[in-house]
Amino acid sequence: MDSADRDMFRAAIHGDREAFEMIIRTMSRPLFAIAFGILQNREEAEDVVQDAFVKAWKSRWRVREPEKLQGWISTIARHRAYDILRRRRTVPLDEQLQEFAAAGNGSESPDDERHRQVRSALATLPELYRSAVALRYLQNMDYATIEQTLGLSNGALRGILGRALASMRKRLKPALAAMI
Amino acid sequence: MPTIHDQIDEVLAAAVHNELTDDERRALHVHLVECAECRALHKEEQLMNKALGEIFTDEKPDFGFEKRMLYAFRRKAPPRASVAVFLVNLMRSRVTQLAAAAILLLALFEMGRFLTGEEMSIPFFRESRLASPPMAMNGQAAATDLVTSGGASFFPDKQGDAFVEAGRKSDTERDHNQAQEAVRSKSELGSAASVQAYRAKEGSPATTDDKRGTPLTSGQPAALLARASSNVPVTSASAATNAEEIGPSPSASAQRGPANRKLIRNARVDLEVRNFEEAVQQIGGFASEARGYIATSSSDKQENGKLRGEVVVKVLPENLDDFLEKLRGVGDLKNQIIGTDDVTKQYLDTDARLKNAQAMEQRLLEVLKRKSDDINDLLAVEKELGRVREQIEQMQGELKFMDTQAQFATVTIALAEKDMDVPAGFLLKERAQLALYAQDVEKSYNQIKALASPKIQITNATLDRDNAGRVSARISMLIAPEESDAVIAKVKALGRVDKFQLQTERVARGGQGMSEDAKTERDKVQLNVTIAREEQEAPLQQTTLRVRASSVSERAKELRNLAEKQNGRVRASSFARDPNGREFANVSLRVPMKNYGSLMQSLGALGKLENVSVHREERPDAQIDEANAPADISIQVYSQGKIVPDNTGVIATLRRTLAQGAAALMWSVQLIGVALAFLLPWLLPIALIIWGARLISRARASKRAR
Repeated sequence: MDSADRDMFRAAIHGDREAFEMIIRTMSRPLFAIAFGILQNREEAEDVVQDAFVKAWKSRWRVREPEKLQGWISTIARHRAYDILRRRRTVPLDEQLQEFAAAGNGSESPDDERHRQVRSALATLPELYRSAVALRYLQNMDYATIEQTLGLSNGALRGILGRALASMRKRLKPALAAMI
Repeated sequence: MPTIHDQIDEVLAAAVHNELTDDERRALHVHLVECAECRALHKEEQLMNKALGEIFTDEKPDFGFEKRMLYAFRRKAPPRASVAVFLVNLMRSRVTQLAAAAILLLALFEMGRFLTGEEMSIPFFRESRLASPPMAMNGQAAATDLVTSGGASFFPDKQGDAFVEAGRKSDTERDHNQAQEAVRSKSELGSAASVQAYRAKEGSPATTDDKRGTPLTSGQPAALLARASSNVPVTSASAATNAEEIGPSPSASAQRGPANRKLIRNARVDLEVRNFEEAVQQIGGFASEARGYIATSSSDKQENGKLRGEVVVKVLPENLDDFLEKLRGVGDLKNQIIGTDDVTKQYLDTDARLKNAQAMEQRLLEVLKRKSDDINDLLAVEKELGRVREQIEQMQGELKFMDTQAQFATVTIALAEKDMDVPAGFLLKERAQLALYAQDVEKSYNQIKALASPKIQITNATLDRDNAGRVSARISMLIAPEESDAVIAKVKALGRVDKFQLQTERVARGGQGMSEDAKTERDKVQLNVTIAREEQEAPLQQTTLRVRASSVSERAKELRNLAEKQNGRVRASSFARDPNGREFANVSLRVPMKNYGSLMQSLGALGKLENVSVHREERPDAQIDEANAPADISIQVYSQGKIVPDNTGVIATLRRTLAQGAAALMWSVQLIGVALAFLLPWLLPIALIIWGARLISRARASKRAR
């Protein structure tokens, strides 16, 4: 993180709205990716991003070190997304099954079928993994930036993405074989 | 060192994401060439990567996404007031947090002080702040009061005319006096309004005696007078214009100076004159010049033939200053006090009450005239009427008294002739104090009382016997000078003299200082005698000793016999036996000094003497009759008893240990109680602090966990 960024974060923490809006400009897409990775739903993800910024602004004074602001905001977004996800899971099983059935039947192309499978495999991953995958594929971020955005330590992402992809690979083995 | 094969998942992911270093990539390629399993995985990983890329391509946020987020943020978190921002920033700063911590500590400290009952230090500050505003308010209220009373409650013209009428009838001379008073009060208070009032009085003899007119309170007469004076030329003006004129006018509101006060003046003068009679005549002359008179005169002849006295003179108040001036010519002025008593309020109050009482009287008279048939009613009315009339008379008397008091100023002149202070003679006063110890107090007491004769007068004699049987006596007598030495010697012989004190004082008569030709006389001698029993006399010599004997009680009996042989008395004795069988007898004896030696010798027969100690009070100055002075001997006779005491052995030790253990336990319980009592008041703040600290640390921990 360069010093200009750090100054911007510090100013934002100290209540400078312009600095904070700058942060919103730069961080809203990564945050969207994080939320989308977890929720797989654009509208909900957008809501999460909005809420996360508002919440971060209101309680910005809790952050002591400017370096941690980014990680902290993305943590807020992740938690918010979990909350929504958890609430969604309490929807009765019947509805989910119906949805699933609706999604599964009918005439869909092999591509759609594969995408659906990939998505459901993605949904089985832990939330942090999903966020990391989304940041990588949605934002095309390099590992270092992702680590910084998620507030992870250096080199941790390699393991996370490795495990995430491996897990999906195993789950999707037949579908992948069909792709060849 | 883990091989690539072990970490294949990680490495493959990094490879498809282009995050491998050159070395790693090379190593991976080498490995893939030789490991078919990993090759298959690599293939799958590439497919996986592609599939994921596909599913996310469509999901990228649209072009206006950031803007939307920004607007949403602005809508949901509008800028707050700058004060709030400032406060938030303030809370963030370390300095503020330190200050808050300090304040918290201070609050705890103050609370502790409060709980322990020490005084807080605010009251002074609070009082000083409260002290001034009410005063200012009072002044203001008084001023407005005056304005309103001057403006609103002013009576209509008709009434005013009535006053003017009443004024015409009133005594002109008194008005003159009042005018004079007004001048004086002007000089005292410097009020412009009183000048005005004074001029009005001078200008028209028809000034009102307004205080008789209405029952008004003390603040009003001034305003009333001002109104009257300004109103004299314009009697036809309406009440409303009057109110306008008077209300806001500064003279009415600013003046608190009375123009029509009842002032009682008096003075006191101390003079030193050559001749008392001449001075009194002179004063009489001055008094009549000042249209006054000598009220009382008294004189008193001193022992040296000089006169001292007091003359009370009444003069007209306006002449008082002149009169005092003239008095200085009569003699040397030693002291002068001039005072003024303002009885206006009292006068007006009494006057108002008088009016009420008179109105009451009228009403009662009307009731009587109606001729009720009921005798009881009539009687009640009569009774009430009598009471009211009595009140009226009393109040009229008071008013009259105050009038006369105010009419004349009282001057009290104390006169003293010169050379008062040379003494005419001297008196030699002798007082003697004598303290005696007597064998039989009552007998000595009676003997002294028997000395009474015309030249020896007993002024006071008391005999005390307290509940322990101790007797003491006090006698005071006056003895003619020529008899005194003989009588004192006689009294001294009645017992042993403890203390004798003779005090002689020369008292000057009729003044102080030296006088060459003054005679000296010897006055009666006052003798105070106190008699106490011999027992109470402190011994000249005290001896303590111990005697070990096998049979204690027998030895004690022998001891008593020995003492009696030597003319001694047993003052106290006691006998004790302790649990180990030891016996103690304590005997305290008193013998005359002359028999002390022989008694001590005979004591040897009782047994072995131990621990002999002798204490002698040397009184080198005192002339005492040493042979008969008392000597005290305290003797303890004791036996050995059993050697081994009961309180040894296992049981006793156990019991002692248990008792000590219990005591220690009780002591620590007590200490715990004290500690609790001390800590309880602190528990609440400490709990608060711990709660806050835990909140903070939890917040930090959760942040770290994220």
